[in-house]
Amino acid sequence: MKANIILKKIAFYIIIVAVWQAISMTNVWPSNIFPSPYEVGEDLAYTAADGSLFFGIGTSILRLLVGLAIAIGGGIVLGIFMARVEVVNQTIGSLVLGLQSIPSVAWVPLGILWFGLTDAGIIFVTAIGAIFAVTINTYTGVKNINPHFIEAARNMGAKGTQLVTSVLIPAAFPYMISGFKQGWAFAWRGVIGAELLFSFLGLGFLLNVGRQLNDVSQVIAIMLVIMIIGVVIDGVIFKRLEDKVMSRWGLR
Amino acid sequence: MTKLEAKNIVKYFKHDSHQLKALGGVNLEIDDGEFVCLVGPSGCGKSTFLRIVAGLETPDEGQILFDGKPVTATGPERIMVFQEGALFPWLRVQDNVEFGLKMAGIPKEERSQISKRYLDMMQLTKFANSYTYQLSTGMKQRVAIARALVMDPDVLLMDEPFAALDAQTRDLLLVEMQLIWEKTKKTILFVTHNVSEATVLGTKVAVFSNRPSKIKKLIPINYKRPRLAEDENLLPLQQDILSELRPEVKKG
Repeated sequence: MKANIILKKIAFYIIIVAVWQAISMTNVWPSNIFPSPYEVGEDLAYTAADGSLFFGIGTSILRLLVGLAIAIGGGIVLGIFMARVEVVNQTIGSLVLGLQSIPSVAWVPLGILWFGLTDAGIIFVTAIGAIFAVTINTYTGVKNINPHFIEAARNMGAKGTQLVTSVLIPAAFPYMISGFKQGWAFAWRGVIGAELLFSFLGLGFLLNVGRQLNDVSQVIAIMLVIMIIGVVIDGVIFKRLEDKVMSRWGLR
Repeated sequence: MTKLEAKNIVKYFKHDSHQLKALGGVNLEIDDGEFVCLVGPSGCGKSTFLRIVAGLETPDEGQILFDGKPVTATGPERIMVFQEGALFPWLRVQDNVEFGLKMAGIPKEERSQISKRYLDMMQLTKFANSYTYQLSTGMKQRVAIARALVMDPDVLLMDEPFAALDAQTRDLLLVEMQLIWEKTKKTILFVTHNVSEATVLGTKVAVFSNRPSKIKKLIPINYKRPRLAEDENLLPLQQDILSELRPEVKKG
């Protein structure tokens, strides 16, 4: 990134914090409703100091990773079957489109009823919120493979699972990456939403605790943490992976 | 000895409601070690014919005999080189060349020994570790040819492989292709729309008629090699072929 873009960004955030501080200093709203940036920072420091912040982050990320892994594995298999077997596409394919329109928090009641207030329930909500994005992108990716790739591979003796692992998956990978990226975004929303409603450890739980204690600065502090983790994973991990794949595949 | 025999090949192009008779009974006999160029008006189905020989498409009538046995599927004894190469962008040049060997379960050591020979033959050794996006169109076609030769097929099926190349690169590859053919003794079927290319490469040139196409004339070319594209002695032959082609192109 160019230096002057970075400077603009830094200036922008300084202004936001300054305006925030200025509003809180006018005392229009009491500080327990509208805390100052300093109070939010102080709260963040407390939760960091007693370890509860890092425990929360760790718990949420672990659930995210397990849920996302399930979603990616299942989504790839489902997407490939949909793309390669017409009857699967005609039947399960239509259901997938329907299920994708359900927001992941809407799975929370089922998760609680089926799995109880457990990690498994939260992971279920996370995985099911992400799986269909992976499925649909994998399907699109496989459908868009240059047919000559598949013909050439079959001509050179690739068949069955060999064809899937050596041609279909790598050829569809640029699309699959977008599926993972969307899937991760859904999973992150899903895991926080589920933790909030399950009220069982994690960052979502800390948000809920903040609400129960009327601690607005804790709520805002945790929201900031959720946002920062999202930006880091999106901008660092997925952006790099995407850039690398796109240039390797000659798409950029 | 007859290597390949096409017996009364008929193929329809199916569009939504109507169908078009593309190949109207193609008969062709090709001896072992021949280099047969197929020319014809565009859309006459010469590429489709090649795909039928490869086993990538099935004829509506008639059959292809390979060593006297009917062709029912694609096989490693008949390897296709596609117009744009159809190289796998996720693999390095060497891995592209070794693809068929890997599918056949040949161990890594042996694979790299074999691929080394063909990378050398196609002057690709320096590019063994490059990805395909780093190569020029001419280099890509060299990789595609090496990838096909590695399979040690009896028959090489080439679908306008030099169509997208600039003139200098094409002239160079026309000479190399003759050397490869002399060195490897492969039977080659080569589809082109370029009459000069056909006279430079072929031991015979098969002229397709317009749809429903048959082979209108089989013109033998007995002239010393290596032939150069600018050789004036080939001009009368090119005139012969063009005078066969012209009325067909007009019909189209």
